[in-house]
Amino acid sequence: MVTVLLVEDDPAARQGLELALRRLGYQVQAAATGEAALRDFRAAAADVVVLDLMLPGLDGFEVCRRLRRDSDVPVIMLTARGDDLDIVGGLEAGADDYVVKPVEPRVLDARLRAVIRRTARTGPPGGAAETYDGLMIDRGALIVRRAGADVSLTPTELRLLLVLSGSPRQVFSREQLLGLVWEHDYLGDSRLVDACVQRLRAKIETDTSEPRYVQTVRGFGYRFGPV
Amino acid sequence: MRTRLVTAFVAVALLSALLSSWFHTLIESYRLPGWLDGVVRGPAFLGSLRYSTPGHPPLRVVPHTALVFFALEVAVLLAVITAVAAAASRPVLLPVRRLARAAQRMSGGDLSVRIEPRGRDELTELVTSFNGMAAALQDKIGELERMESRARQFAGDVSHELRTPLTAMTAVAGILHEHPGLTGDAATAARLVRQEVLHLNRLVEDLIEISRFDAGTAQLVIDDTDIALAVDRCLRVRNWAQVSAEVPAGLVVQLDRRRFDVVLANLVGNALRHGAAPVTVTAGLEPGGPGGLGGHELVVTVRDHGEGLPAAAMPHLFDRFYKADTARARSEGSGLGLAIAAENARLHGGRIDAGHHPGGGALFTVRLPAVQPACSKAAAADWATC
Repeated sequence: MVTVLLVEDDPAARQGLELALRRLGYQVQAAATGEAALRDFRAAAADVVVLDLMLPGLDGFEVCRRLRRDSDVPVIMLTARGDDLDIVGGLEAGADDYVVKPVEPRVLDARLRAVIRRTARTGPPGGAAETYDGLMIDRGALIVRRAGADVSLTPTELRLLLVLSGSPRQVFSREQLLGLVWEHDYLGDSRLVDACVQRLRAKIETDTSEPRYVQTVRGFGYRFGPV
Repeated sequence: MRTRLVTAFVAVALLSALLSSWFHTLIESYRLPGWLDGVVRGPAFLGSLRYSTPGHPPLRVVPHTALVFFALEVAVLLAVITAVAAAASRPVLLPVRRLARAAQRMSGGDLSVRIEPRGRDELTELVTSFNGMAAALQDKIGELERMESRARQFAGDVSHELRTPLTAMTAVAGILHEHPGLTGDAATAARLVRQEVLHLNRLVEDLIEISRFDAGTAQLVIDDTDIALAVDRCLRVRNWAQVSAEVPAGLVVQLDRRRFDVVLANLVGNALRHGAAPVTVTAGLEPGGPGGLGGHELVVTVRDHGEGLPAAAMPHLFDRFYKADTARARSEGSGLGLAIAAENARLHGGRIDAGHHPGGGALFTVRLPAVQPACSKAAAADWATC
């Protein structure tokens, strides 16, 4: 049973979403404010967080940032606008994906399943650790190290890295990445991909202005290496 | 106006020349003071041009010399008159021209135009009135623009506010509808509620989309788009298998994929709903585009085999909430579909035209500036970055 921590301030929306999530088979812990969410997070032992961006007091971005300080829990933003600011800002704060309100339960369900798949705690069995000039990727244990130190990645950032590094030198278009990493349909927002690449680079590249691992191929997309 | 002035001056000059000749005839008998006499009768050398034939007392002017002198005189006079006329008319014409130019700039949209009043005659009055009129116009138009922007802002705000109650309703409408315990009227009611909630969602979505265009916050998310694939997916996702598409393979253009899908879906949906099968989509590159700089345009057409667009509807097709067939006022759409499609095209720097297909039925043509990716995928497969 997957536990969802739902953070939504509007009482009707919170009630409605909670109801819908329970009918979909999720266990739901609901919080009306960011502060309450952070407070109940540990006890809730949530597997995934659905976080409204417009909250009174601590806004969604800040809640996400604080959650990220000591957790890799997948976070899905609930945004009323779906604008650049929300998507990019949300990803920068550490979110994995977003849905636009009002959201149909089946859409929310699809996003939740996709993001949970991304956090599968074990990789393919027998996956050996690969090293690319200072960057160590252990596909079995799902650990990433750079210069000997562990790199903490969100489930989505990790998945993006695994997909890219799984076929080094192969160019993936943003559309392909949206499908492979986020499981969005072909109309998904490619800004998600760009923002996530930026986050990933910030964590693993020595010099983000000249990325060696996650490279941009102008007009086509991204590829891993060549290092 | 200048010709009129010059003609008037020339006429006056000729008249005064004639009068002066008459005057000369009269003045013959008068004895004038020495200095005045010299002025009236002219310089002394003129006397040398006169001769007298022996035995004939009256003095006559040498014929050919007289004609030449006269011609020179007329020429000089005309030149002087024209110069004086032009100089005299300048202070009148210049402000008039400035006024005309200012009025032209105003009608071109620049309401800040003012003219500096000079002098204190009727023209200055005209200039001052003009300035007053321009200022009043500018204020009025500014006020109207503010009102319109407030109205649009309001529409956007209202739509945004509607999202909150809709979030709860959307989440639970399905639950009601799917409840096995509901039967008969209750089941119908639940179905209607769900249907209308989804309809409301679409309407709010469209309103917010339009308000983004109005506020100028709509942005393009550009991606390399394979047109054949995009068209195919657009049709497949909506189960429009009956629509045929003629799109060349390998046509890749940089555009906003989501917006392209919205435009195409709207046009095809309209064709299916208001036109008649078969509906055909074509796409291709044509030379053309903004500025005619030798670029290319992506041209996408959607045609149906219905009765075509009613003439009365043509000028209003892309208006908001315009529905040509008022008898079918109840439709799935929000009445904003074409308006949004047109804005999406405009955002790309292109446009949509509505017309009739020569073979019958309506024909919608979308033109978008085609910016193709700088190089082919094959070339960039390895190391090279384009």
